[in-house]
Amino acid sequence: MDFSYTEEQQDVIKLAQQILGDQTEPAALKLIEEQRHRFDEKLWQDLAASGLLGVALSEANGGMAFGFETLCLLIEEVGRTVAPVPVIPVLVSALFLEQLGGEAFASTLADVATGKTLLSSAISEPGAEVRETPTTRAVADEEGWRLWGTKTCVPIAEHCAGVLVAAQTQGGVALFLVDPTTDTVTLQRQHVTCSESQYLMELEGTAATLLSDVAADVTAWLDALTVAYATMAVGVCDRMMRMSASYTSERQQFGVPVATFQAVGHRVADCFIDVECLRLVTQQAASLIDQGLPATDAALSAKIWTGDATHRVSQASQHVHGGIGVDRDYPLFRYCLWARQLELSAGSSAEMTACLGKRIESQFSS
Amino acid sequence: MKIEFTDTQKALQTEVREYMRDIVTDDLREEMKNPEYFEGGGPVFREKFARMGRDGWIALSWPSALGGREATPMEQYIFTEEVMASGFPYPFLTTDAVGPVLAEHGSASIRDEVVKTILQGETVVAIGYSEPGAGTDLASLTTRAKRDGDDWVINGQKMWTSLANFADYIWLAARTDPDESKKHKGLTMFLIPADTPGFSHTPVWTLGVRTNATYYENLRIPDRYRVGEVNRGWKLITGQLNRERLSLVNHGPVEALYRRTAQWAAETALSDGSMLISRPWVQHNLARVKVGLDALRMMCLKQAWAMTEGALGMAEASAAKVYGTEFFVELYRLLLEIMGQSGVICADSPGAVLQGDIEHRYRVGSILTFGGGCNEIQRDIISAAGLWMPRAER
Ligand SMILES: Cc1cc2nc3c(=O)[nH]c(=O)nc-3n(C[C@H](O)[C@H](O)[C@H](O)COP(=O)(O)OP(=O)(O)OC[C@H]3O[C@@H](n4cnc5c(N)ncnc54)[C@H](O)[C@@H]3O)c2cc1C
Repeated sequence: MDFSYTEEQQDVIKLAQQILGDQTEPAALKLIEEQRHRFDEKLWQDLAASGLLGVALSEANGGMAFGFETLCLLIEEVGRTVAPVPVIPVLVSALFLEQLGGEAFASTLADVATGKTLLSSAISEPGAEVRETPTTRAVADEEGWRLWGTKTCVPIAEHCAGVLVAAQTQGGVALFLVDPTTDTVTLQRQHVTCSESQYLMELEGTAATLLSDVAADVTAWLDALTVAYATMAVGVCDRMMRMSASYTSERQQFGVPVATFQAVGHRVADCFIDVECLRLVTQQAASLIDQGLPATDAALSAKIWTGDATHRVSQASQHVHGGIGVDRDYPLFRYCLWARQLELSAGSSAEMTACLGKRIESQFSS
Repeated sequence: MKIEFTDTQKALQTEVREYMRDIVTDDLREEMKNPEYFEGGGPVFREKFARMGRDGWIALSWPSALGGREATPMEQYIFTEEVMASGFPYPFLTTDAVGPVLAEHGSASIRDEVVKTILQGETVVAIGYSEPGAGTDLASLTTRAKRDGDDWVINGQKMWTSLANFADYIWLAARTDPDESKKHKGLTMFLIPADTPGFSHTPVWTLGVRTNATYYENLRIPDRYRVGEVNRGWKLITGQLNRERLSLVNHGPVEALYRRTAQWAAETALSDGSMLISRPWVQHNLARVKVGLDALRMMCLKQAWAMTEGALGMAEASAAKVYGTEFFVELYRLLLEIMGQSGVICADSPGAVLQGDIEHRYRVGSILTFGGGCNEIQRDIISAAGLWMPRAER
């Protein structure tokens, strides 16, 4: 049993904090948010130059091969700074492209590590549950696989060289790679709460590369994305809680800091407990994924904690801040918007609870 | 990060689990059905506890100088979890809170007379802190000890002195300096043999368990029953409370309740022939319990690990106490909802589910949210020690 970070993990945290911290001052974020896309190209290149984009990729593909758990540490820092960089869609997708696609994608992956290429994953469909078999269909003909269906809220699709997509084949669910720039793909920009560029993606006979037709691989891909979102939520929530603690320690009403009112102190203490729980279940899930062990229950648990904690910590933080907390000139609002986004990404608490409940049923039914 | 037990830790877990099967026998279960003996004290309990002493379990985490096995906090946690899950009313406060304090601070005669018998499983100590007027604000206690030659004369009343009806000693906090401004600095600890004249008790029946009011009337004991320095008792009290906190929110026993309930729901047919566990609302409750348990387990393991590393944070310890105790109550509720109407049938009545265990647990659930340092105090600690928020004067 060991809860400590390895030396290389500590280095990754330090490096990430240094690079992200320098470039996520409110003024810098504001400038980026005036662009059409909430994406900081320079910051992305700095992350590439530092090697962090390859943190989990194999050395053959220009990475550091530190594994999923260490990738999560980078993701947590991105959450803590709400940095405008799409680490989850790009880096988690890259991991699966590497694991399932093999050498055919070596140059794509090397380009991901150097910041030249972006990837994404499409996990939601309008009108389908995240963990149910997708309605998107895949059909094979002499020329290969073609996909029909609609995915929603696909991050950064317009800028990607490839998007990972799950679809139903005759033999069951499978994972594919599609090129979103081909003319059988229609992308419509969606404005979403966190203001990341996301897309409604329609596939109409889109040529696709089969990555895996093993259902367990599709589940592992979903699990990893789920835990990545949970990890980002750890950073987001931790920061909201700390902003609440420091703001209420300064802000005076009735001649005293508002933090000295026990009701206020306790509301923030409850955030501390939520963040602690969220962090621990997320670490558990990340550690299982890292070791290649079954992680679906743990991932669902982490997502349920994400849904609950993001909502509670965000509302408590807004509440104890009063008006300033919702003012777009004060930095809290970005965290609240991301909290909301993460709460509903990759499955809500209610949906994941139903999903976990079904699994418990089968575990106990002989 | 590696969040699995080592092979040695797993082996210890199995060893304790198997050992406890021979301890928690049918005759012990039968004896514990008597509410007087629910928390131990009956002849079968005495016999089993002494056996655990003989087999070296009580000394598990004690220093080797005292014949202990010097287990790490992680190993001690594993032991505690298995013992609690077994249902044996093991007197942890005697063996792991008061015992080591006596060994460190007790007089030579206490060490010979009491510490030895604690390790042999022959002695149970009750905790005499709370009073009718002193609960959360414990340092306001007024039970008075006055020096008289080589003796001390003690007068006062304690409240909620659990186990005092069968304990061999009372670990008593008394005021030795009447100066009110000295509050925390005027307290001294004593170990009172329960057969000392002037000691008496009356039962207090609570929602779920029996406890006692205890009385000290011109009770006279020699100075060798004083533990630690005069007026320096507060440190011994708080040191003991810290040891207690993690074992309060142990994950093992509630995990067992979850599994038993899920198993029961999977085996219980409804009138249409389907199993109770097939119902979405049942699955929902089980999933909520599971998710809460996942966090509890990780919190407990992380703390046991942090204690082993000598790096337990105050805020994290308080967070676990608040989370664990409040989650317990929620867990009982969620599991009892699955049983529905049967959730109110008590042990030994026809139709009781899982021997009425959770029906009873629900009735004792609140004790941990106000006891062991009430949760408001713990939240104060979290915001001050964990988040550096200023506190109001008190
Ligand atoms: C079954 C049972 C067994 C027990 N066993 C023992 C035992 O063996 N030995 C022993 O010494 N004691 C024992 N206790 C006593 C237990 O430790 C006390 O109940 C506990 O310390 C709380 O004290 P109180 O009951 O006087 O509540 P109070 O101190 O009166 O507190 C009541 C409530 O007031 C609020 N409150 C108090 N202080 C604050 C604050 N600073 N900020 C905000 N809110 C506050 C909290 O909501 C608290 O729950 C036992 C109690 C029970 C019920």
